[in-house]
Amino acid sequence: MERPIIWKLTCFLILISLASTSLQAQNKPKEEEKAPLFSGIAVSADVVGFAMKAVGAKFANMEVGARINLLDKFFPTAELGIGDCSRKGAETGNTFSTTSPYMRFGLDYNFNKKHNGNRIFGLVRYGFSNFKYDVGNEAFTDPVYGTSQPFKMESQKATGHWIEIGAAVETKLWAFIRLGWSVRYKFRAALSCPDEGEPYFIPGFGKNDTNGFGGTVNLIFDVGKGSFNFKKKGKL
Amino acid sequence: MRQKLLLILSGLLMLAACESYDCTLYNYVGLYGKFYQDGVEVAIKDTLTITAGKSGPVLLNRQAGTSKFNVALSYWQEEDTLVLTVKGEDYLLRDTIWVTKSNQVHYESPDCPTTYFHTIQDVRSTHEFIKDITVIRSSVNYGTTDNLEINLLSDSD
Repeated sequence: MERPIIWKLTCFLILISLASTSLQAQNKPKEEEKAPLFSGIAVSADVVGFAMKAVGAKFANMEVGARINLLDKFFPTAELGIGDCSRKGAETGNTFSTTSPYMRFGLDYNFNKKHNGNRIFGLVRYGFSNFKYDVGNEAFTDPVYGTSQPFKMESQKATGHWIEIGAAVETKLWAFIRLGWSVRYKFRAALSCPDEGEPYFIPGFGKNDTNGFGGTVNLIFDVGKGSFNFKKKGKL
Repeated sequence: MRQKLLLILSGLLMLAACESYDCTLYNYVGLYGKFYQDGVEVAIKDTLTITAGKSGPVLLNRQAGTSKFNVALSYWQEEDTLVLTVKGEDYLLRDTIWVTKSNQVHYESPDCPTTYFHTIQDVRSTHEFIKDITVIRSSVNYGTTDNLEINLLSDSD
Protein backbone atom coordinates (compact mmCIF):
# COMPACT_ATOMS: atom_id res chain seq x y z
CA MET A 1 0.00 0.00 0.00
CA GLU A 2 1.36 3.42 -0.95
CA ARG A 3 2.47 5.58 1.98
CA PRO A 4 1.38 9.21 1.58
CA ILE A 5 4.26 11.62 1.06
CA ILE A 6 2.98 13.81 3.89
CA TRP A 7 3.46 10.88 6.26
CA LYS A 8 7.03 10.41 5.09
CA LEU A 9 7.76 14.10 5.50
CA THR A 10 6.24 14.11 8.99
CA CYS A 11 8.44 11.21 10.08
CA PHE A 12 11.47 12.92 8.59
CA LEU A 13 10.74 16.18 10.43
CA ILE A 14 10.30 14.28 13.69
CA LEU A 15 13.71 12.69 13.23
CA ILE A 16 15.30 16.06 12.45
CA SER A 17 13.69 17.65 15.50
CA LEU A 18 14.94 14.81 17.72
CA ALA A 19 18.43 15.34 16.41
CA SER A 20 18.30 19.08 17.00
CA THR A 21 16.87 18.55 20.51
CA SER A 22 19.87 16.37 21.24
CA LEU A 23 22.09 19.15 20.00
CA GLN A 24 20.53 21.67 22.34
CA ALA A 25 20.91 19.26 25.23
CA GLN A 26 24.67 19.24 24.83
CA ASN A 27 26.64 21.17 27.43
CA LYS A 28 27.35 24.51 25.91
CA PRO A 29 31.03 25.32 25.72
CA LYS A 30 32.11 28.06 28.04
CA GLU A 31 33.99 29.64 25.26
CA GLU A 32 34.19 28.92 21.56
CA GLU A 33 36.73 26.22 20.85
CA LYS A 34 38.58 26.59 17.62
CA ALA A 35 39.68 23.71 15.48
CA PRO A 36 42.35 23.98 12.78
CA LEU A 37 41.21 24.60 9.22
CA PHE A 38 42.43 21.18 8.18
CA SER A 39 41.42 18.94 11.04
CA GLY A 40 41.91 15.58 9.37
CA ILE A 41 40.51 13.21 6.83
CA ALA A 42 38.44 10.06 7.28
CA VAL A 43 37.40 7.01 5.34
CA SER A 44 34.26 5.03 6.09
CA ALA A 45 32.19 2.03 5.08
CA ASP A 46 28.44 1.54 5.37
CA VAL A 47 28.14 -1.73 7.25
CA VAL A 48 24.39 -2.08 6.57
CA GLY A 49 24.88 -2.52 2.82
CA PHE A 50 27.48 -5.22 3.25
CA ALA A 51 25.35 -6.94 5.90
CA MET A 52 22.28 -6.86 3.63
CA LYS A 53 24.31 -8.45 0.85
CA ALA A 54 25.68 -11.07 3.25
CA VAL A 55 22.20 -12.14 4.40
CA GLY A 56 20.86 -12.25 0.84
CA ALA A 57 18.57 -9.22 0.96
CA LYS A 58 16.78 -8.40 -2.30
CA PHE A 59 18.84 -5.26 -2.70
CA ALA A 60 21.88 -3.67 -1.10
CA ASN A 61 23.98 -0.57 -1.55
CA MET A 62 27.55 -1.34 -0.53
CA GLU A 63 29.55 1.83 -0.21
CA VAL A 64 32.69 3.43 1.10
CA GLY A 65 33.28 7.12 1.64
CA ALA A 66 35.98 9.69 2.23
CA ARG A 67 35.76 13.15 3.69
CA ILE A 68 37.86 16.10 4.76
CA ASN A 69 37.41 17.75 8.13
CA LEU A 70 37.53 21.55 7.90
CA LEU A 71 37.36 23.40 11.23
CA ASP A 72 35.58 20.34 12.67
CA LYS A 73 32.49 21.93 11.17
CA PHE A 74 32.47 21.42 7.39
CA PHE A 75 33.02 17.95 5.95
CA PRO A 76 33.12 17.77 2.13
CA THR A 77 32.30 14.16 1.37
CA ALA A 78 32.47 11.70 -1.50
CA GLU A 79 30.79 8.29 -1.41
CA LEU A 80 31.38 5.51 -3.89
CA GLY A 81 29.42 2.30 -3.93
CA ILE A 82 27.95 -0.63 -5.78
CA GLY A 83 24.20 -1.12 -5.87
CA ASP A 84 23.09 -4.71 -6.16
CA CYS A 85 19.57 -5.96 -6.73
CA SER A 86 18.24 -9.32 -7.80
CA ARG A 87 14.50 -9.74 -7.57
CA LYS A 88 11.85 -12.14 -8.83
CA GLY A 89 8.17 -11.30 -8.47
CA ALA A 90 6.42 -14.05 -6.52
CA GLU A 91 3.19 -13.83 -8.50
CA THR A 92 4.38 -12.60 -11.88
CA GLY A 93 7.67 -14.45 -12.30
CA ASN A 94 9.20 -11.22 -13.60
CA THR A 95 12.88 -10.80 -12.83
CA PHE A 96 15.05 -7.73 -12.40
CA SER A 97 18.77 -7.62 -11.74
CA THR A 98 21.54 -5.07 -11.68
CA THR A 99 24.98 -4.67 -10.14
CA SER A 100 26.28 -1.21 -10.91
CA PRO A 101 28.33 1.58 -9.35
CA TYR A 102 27.12 4.91 -8.07
CA MET A 103 28.64 8.08 -6.62
CA ARG A 104 27.55 10.79 -4.25
CA PHE A 105 29.14 14.13 -3.46
CA GLY A 106 28.11 16.52 -0.77
CA LEU A 107 28.73 18.23 2.51
CA ASP A 108 28.17 17.44 6.17
CA TYR A 109 27.78 20.33 8.61
CA ASN A 110 28.57 19.62 12.26
CA PHE A 111 26.16 21.40 14.61
CA ASN A 112 28.05 20.38 17.75
CA LYS A 113 30.27 23.30 18.69
CA LYS A 114 32.02 21.36 21.41
CA HIS A 115 34.89 19.18 20.18
CA ASN A 116 34.12 16.26 22.45
CA GLY A 117 34.26 13.51 19.87
CA ASN A 118 30.50 13.51 19.16
CA ARG A 119 29.14 15.12 16.04
CA ILE A 120 25.65 15.93 14.91
CA PHE A 121 25.37 16.59 11.23
CA GLY A 122 23.02 18.05 8.74
CA LEU A 123 23.90 16.64 5.36
CA VAL A 124 23.22 17.18 1.70
CA ARG A 125 24.25 14.98 -1.22
CA TYR A 126 24.01 14.85 -4.98
CA GLY A 127 24.05 11.29 -6.27
CA PHE A 128 24.11 9.71 -9.68
CA SER A 129 24.41 6.31 -11.26
CA ASN A 130 24.92 5.31 -14.85
CA PHE A 131 23.88 1.68 -14.83
CA LYS A 132 22.67 -1.35 -16.76
CA TYR A 133 19.93 -3.74 -15.78
CA ASP A 134 18.36 -6.98 -16.97
CA VAL A 135 14.67 -7.81 -16.93
CA GLY A 136 12.84 -10.90 -18.08
CA ASN A 137 10.40 -13.67 -17.48
CA GLU A 138 11.19 -17.27 -18.33
CA ALA A 139 7.59 -18.45 -18.54
CA PHE A 140 5.72 -15.45 -19.84
CA THR A 141 2.20 -16.27 -21.01
CA ASP A 142 -0.21 -14.36 -23.20
CA PRO A 143 -3.33 -14.58 -21.03
CA VAL A 144 -5.82 -14.31 -23.92
CA TYR A 145 -4.16 -16.30 -26.69
CA GLY A 146 -2.67 -18.83 -24.26
CA THR A 147 0.79 -18.99 -25.77
CA SER A 148 3.99 -18.86 -23.75
CA GLN A 149 7.28 -17.36 -24.69
CA PRO A 150 10.16 -16.17 -22.50
CA PHE A 151 11.26 -12.58 -22.80
CA LYS A 152 14.57 -11.18 -21.76
CA MET A 153 15.95 -7.69 -22.13
CA GLU A 154 19.58 -7.53 -21.13
CA SER A 155 21.88 -4.57 -20.48
CA GLN A 156 19.19 -1.91 -20.57
CA LYS A 157 20.97 1.41 -20.02
CA ALA A 158 19.72 4.02 -17.58
CA THR A 159 21.00 7.05 -15.70
CA GLY A 160 19.59 8.34 -12.45
CA HIS A 161 20.27 11.59 -10.59
CA TRP A 162 19.01 12.43 -7.14
CA ILE A 163 19.41 14.77 -4.16
CA GLU A 164 19.59 13.68 -0.54
CA ILE A 165 19.10 15.74 2.60
CA GLY A 166 19.29 14.33 6.07
CA ALA A 167 20.73 14.18 9.52
CA ALA A 168 23.46 12.10 11.09
CA VAL A 169 25.05 11.45 14.43
CA GLU A 170 28.53 10.17 15.07
CA THR A 171 30.55 9.17 18.11
CA LYS A 172 34.07 8.06 18.89
CA LEU A 173 34.43 4.36 19.70
CA TRP A 174 38.15 4.02 20.26
CA ALA A 175 41.19 6.06 19.23
CA PHE A 176 40.62 6.84 15.53
CA ILE A 177 37.59 4.56 15.09
CA ARG A 178 34.15 6.15 15.02
CA LEU A 179 30.60 4.95 14.47
CA GLY A 180 27.93 7.01 12.73
CA TRP A 181 24.28 6.78 11.76
CA SER A 182 22.53 8.78 9.10
CA VAL A 183 18.97 9.05 7.81
CA ARG A 184 18.33 10.61 4.45
CA TYR A 185 15.35 11.75 2.47
CA LYS A 186 15.93 11.32 -1.25
CA PHE A 187 14.41 13.17 -4.17
CA ARG A 188 14.82 11.66 -7.61
CA ALA A 189 15.85 14.56 -9.86
CA ALA A 190 16.03 12.77 -13.22
CA LEU A 191 15.88 9.31 -14.72
CA SER A 192 16.53 8.33 -18.31
CA CYS A 193 15.76 4.77 -19.36
CA PRO A 194 14.34 2.76 -22.29
CA ASP A 195 10.64 3.09 -23.15
CA GLU A 196 10.12 -0.64 -22.55
CA GLY A 197 10.22 -0.12 -18.80
CA GLU A 198 11.75 1.75 -15.91
CA PRO A 199 14.28 0.04 -13.64
CA TYR A 200 12.94 -1.38 -10.40
CA PHE A 201 16.02 -0.26 -8.51
CA ILE A 202 18.46 2.62 -8.91
CA PRO A 203 21.92 1.88 -7.47
CA GLY A 204 22.59 4.25 -4.55
CA PHE A 205 19.02 5.55 -4.52
CA GLY A 206 17.09 2.38 -3.76
CA LYS A 207 13.72 1.28 -5.07
CA ASN A 208 12.79 3.44 -8.03
CA ASP A 209 10.31 6.12 -7.03
CA THR A 210 10.10 9.89 -7.07
CA ASN A 211 11.30 9.97 -3.46
CA GLY A 212 12.31 7.67 -0.66
CA PHE A 213 14.11 7.22 2.61
CA GLY A 214 17.52 5.76 3.19
CA GLY A 215 19.99 5.33 5.97
CA THR A 216 23.52 4.26 6.72
CA VAL A 217 25.48 2.89 9.65
CA ASN A 218 29.06 3.89 9.06
CA LEU A 219 32.26 2.57 10.51
CA ILE A 220 34.63 5.53 10.23
CA PHE A 221 38.39 5.67 10.44
CA ASP A 222 39.90 9.07 11.13
CA VAL A 223 43.21 9.17 9.33
CA GLY A 224 45.65 11.92 8.40
CA LYS A 225 48.01 14.05 10.43
CA GLY A 226 45.64 16.88 10.99
CA SER A 227 43.29 14.68 12.93
CA PHE A 228 45.98 13.39 15.34
CA ASN A 229 47.64 16.79 15.79
CA PHE A 230 44.28 18.24 16.71
CA LYS A 231 43.88 15.69 19.50
CA LYS A 232 47.45 16.12 20.77
CA LYS A 233 46.84 19.82 21.26
CA GLY A 234 44.47 18.85 24.04
CA LYS A 235 41.42 20.52 22.63
CA LEU A 236 39.22 17.49 23.04
CA MET B 1 20.97 11.02 24.35
CA ARG B 2 20.85 7.23 24.22
CA GLN B 3 17.05 7.19 24.42
CA LYS B 4 16.81 9.65 21.55
CA LEU B 5 19.15 7.59 19.46
CA LEU B 6 16.93 4.57 20.13
CA LEU B 7 13.92 6.62 19.06
CA ILE B 8 15.63 7.60 15.82
CA LEU B 9 16.61 4.01 15.10
CA SER B 10 13.06 2.83 15.88
CA GLY B 11 11.73 5.37 13.42
CA LEU B 12 14.11 4.10 10.79
CA LEU B 13 12.99 0.53 11.35
CA MET B 14 9.33 1.54 10.99
CA LEU B 15 10.09 3.29 7.73
CA ALA B 16 11.92 0.28 6.39
CA ALA B 17 9.16 -2.13 7.38
CA CYS B 18 6.68 -1.19 4.64
CA GLU B 19 6.88 -1.86 0.94
CA SER B 20 4.55 -0.43 -1.65
CA TYR B 21 3.59 -1.73 -5.09
CA ASP B 22 2.91 1.06 -7.55
CA CYS B 23 1.41 -0.93 -10.40
CA THR B 24 -0.70 0.75 -13.07
CA LEU B 25 -4.30 0.36 -11.95
CA TYR B 26 -5.93 0.36 -15.39
CA ASN B 27 -3.65 -2.01 -17.25
CA TYR B 28 -5.88 -3.34 -20.02
CA VAL B 29 -4.34 -3.15 -23.48
CA GLY B 30 -6.95 -3.50 -26.20
CA LEU B 31 -7.79 -2.67 -29.78
CA TYR B 32 -10.77 -0.29 -29.85
CA GLY B 33 -13.02 -0.16 -32.89
CA LYS B 34 -16.24 1.66 -33.75
CA PHE B 35 -18.76 1.05 -36.55
CA TYR B 36 -19.92 3.73 -38.96
CA GLN B 37 -22.31 3.77 -41.89
CA ASP B 38 -22.34 6.69 -44.31
CA GLY B 39 -20.23 8.65 -41.83
CA VAL B 40 -22.58 8.15 -38.89
CA GLU B 41 -21.93 5.92 -35.86
CA VAL B 42 -24.16 2.88 -36.14
CA ALA B 43 -25.05 -0.02 -33.86
CA ILE B 44 -25.22 -3.60 -35.07
CA LYS B 45 -28.71 -4.72 -34.12
CA ASP B 46 -28.00 -8.42 -34.05
CA THR B 47 -25.26 -10.31 -32.20
CA LEU B 48 -21.59 -9.64 -32.91
CA THR B 49 -18.99 -12.29 -32.15
CA ILE B 50 -15.24 -11.78 -32.66
CA THR B 51 -12.80 -14.68 -32.62
CA ALA B 52 -9.06 -14.82 -33.17
CA GLY B 53 -8.98 -16.71 -36.46
CA LYS B 54 -11.50 -19.44 -37.14
CA SER B 55 -10.46 -21.65 -34.23
CA GLY B 56 -8.85 -19.20 -31.84
CA PRO B 57 -10.18 -17.83 -28.58
CA VAL B 58 -13.46 -15.94 -28.51
CA LEU B 59 -12.61 -12.29 -27.93
CA LEU B 60 -16.16 -10.94 -27.95
CA ASN B 61 -19.13 -13.24 -27.47
CA ARG B 62 -22.53 -12.49 -29.02
CA GLN B 63 -22.74 -8.84 -28.07
CA ALA B 64 -26.07 -7.36 -29.14
CA GLY B 65 -26.82 -3.83 -30.26
CA THR B 66 -23.24 -2.63 -30.06
CA SER B 67 -21.59 0.12 -32.05
CA LYS B 68 -18.08 -0.49 -30.72
CA PHE B 69 -15.79 -3.20 -29.43
CA ASN B 70 -12.44 -3.69 -27.78
CA VAL B 71 -10.45 -6.88 -28.07
CA ALA B 72 -7.01 -8.01 -26.95
CA LEU B 73 -4.28 -8.45 -29.53
CA SER B 74 -1.76 -11.26 -29.35
CA TYR B 75 1.55 -10.53 -27.63
CA TRP B 76 3.88 -11.98 -30.22
CA GLN B 77 2.20 -12.53 -33.59
CA GLU B 78 3.12 -10.04 -36.29
CA GLU B 79 -0.36 -10.32 -37.78
CA ASP B 80 -3.60 -11.01 -35.93
CA THR B 81 -6.68 -12.37 -37.65
CA LEU B 82 -10.01 -11.21 -36.27
CA VAL B 83 -13.14 -12.93 -37.56
CA LEU B 84 -16.28 -10.82 -37.08
CA THR B 85 -19.55 -12.73 -37.23
CA VAL B 86 -22.90 -10.98 -37.23
CA LYS B 87 -25.78 -13.37 -36.69
CA GLY B 88 -29.48 -12.63 -36.98
CA GLU B 89 -32.50 -14.88 -36.94
CA ASP B 90 -32.23 -15.80 -40.56
CA TYR B 91 -28.84 -14.64 -41.72
CA LEU B 92 -25.15 -14.82 -40.88
CA LEU B 93 -22.51 -12.40 -42.10
CA ARG B 94 -18.81 -12.97 -41.62
CA ASP B 95 -15.83 -10.74 -42.33
CA THR B 96 -12.17 -11.14 -41.50
CA ILE B 97 -9.84 -8.33 -40.43
CA TRP B 98 -6.09 -8.75 -40.59
CA VAL B 99 -4.13 -6.42 -38.29
CA THR B 100 -0.42 -6.19 -39.02
CA LYS B 101 1.48 -4.80 -36.03
CA SER B 102 4.74 -4.52 -34.16
CA ASN B 103 4.93 -5.62 -30.52
CA GLN B 104 6.76 -3.83 -27.71
CA VAL B 105 7.11 -5.32 -24.26
CA HIS B 106 6.04 -3.04 -21.41
CA TYR B 107 7.75 -3.94 -18.14
CA GLU B 108 6.88 -2.14 -14.91
CA SER B 109 8.49 -4.05 -12.06
CA PRO B 110 8.97 -7.59 -10.76
CA ASP B 111 5.68 -7.34 -8.86
CA CYS B 112 3.48 -5.86 -11.60
CA PRO B 113 2.12 -7.74 -14.60
CA THR B 114 4.11 -7.26 -17.78
CA THR B 115 2.19 -6.62 -20.95
CA TYR B 116 2.76 -5.78 -24.60
CA PHE B 117 2.00 -2.56 -26.43
CA HIS B 118 1.50 -2.62 -30.19
CA THR B 119 1.83 -0.30 -33.15
CA ILE B 120 -0.60 -0.97 -35.98
CA GLN B 121 1.15 -0.98 -39.33
CA ASP B 122 -1.62 -2.08 -41.66
CA VAL B 123 -5.24 -3.23 -41.57
CA ARG B 124 -7.13 -4.99 -44.32
CA SER B 125 -10.38 -6.94 -44.45
CA THR B 126 -12.86 -8.90 -46.48
CA HIS B 127 -15.98 -7.07 -47.59
CA GLU B 128 -19.13 -9.01 -46.82
CA PHE B 129 -20.48 -6.23 -44.61
CA ILE B 130 -17.36 -4.11 -44.04
CA LYS B 131 -16.75 -1.41 -46.64
CA ASP B 132 -13.35 -0.16 -45.43
CA ILE B 133 -11.33 0.43 -42.28
CA THR B 134 -9.41 3.55 -41.27
CA VAL B 135 -6.71 3.50 -38.61
CA ILE B 136 -7.22 6.61 -36.47
CA ARG B 137 -4.85 5.69 -33.63
CA SER B 138 -2.03 3.30 -34.42
CA SER B 139 -0.75 2.89 -30.85
CA VAL B 140 -2.40 0.11 -28.91
CA ASN B 141 -1.57 0.73 -25.26
CA TYR B 142 -3.37 1.73 -22.08
CA GLY B 143 -5.31 4.36 -24.08
CA THR B 144 -9.05 3.86 -24.48
CA THR B 145 -9.81 5.96 -27.52
CA ASP B 146 -10.69 4.31 -30.84
CA ASN B 147 -8.01 2.71 -32.96
CA LEU B 148 -10.16 1.68 -35.91
CA GLU B 149 -13.04 3.35 -37.72
CA ILE B 150 -14.93 0.53 -39.44
CA ASN B 151 -17.23 1.70 -42.23
CA LEU B 152 -20.03 -0.72 -43.03
CA LEU B 153 -21.61 -1.26 -46.41
CA SER B 154 -24.91 0.55 -46.89
CA ASP B 155 -27.85 -0.17 -49.16
CA SER B 156 -26.49 2.23 -51.72
CA ASP B 157 -23.12 0.39 -51.95
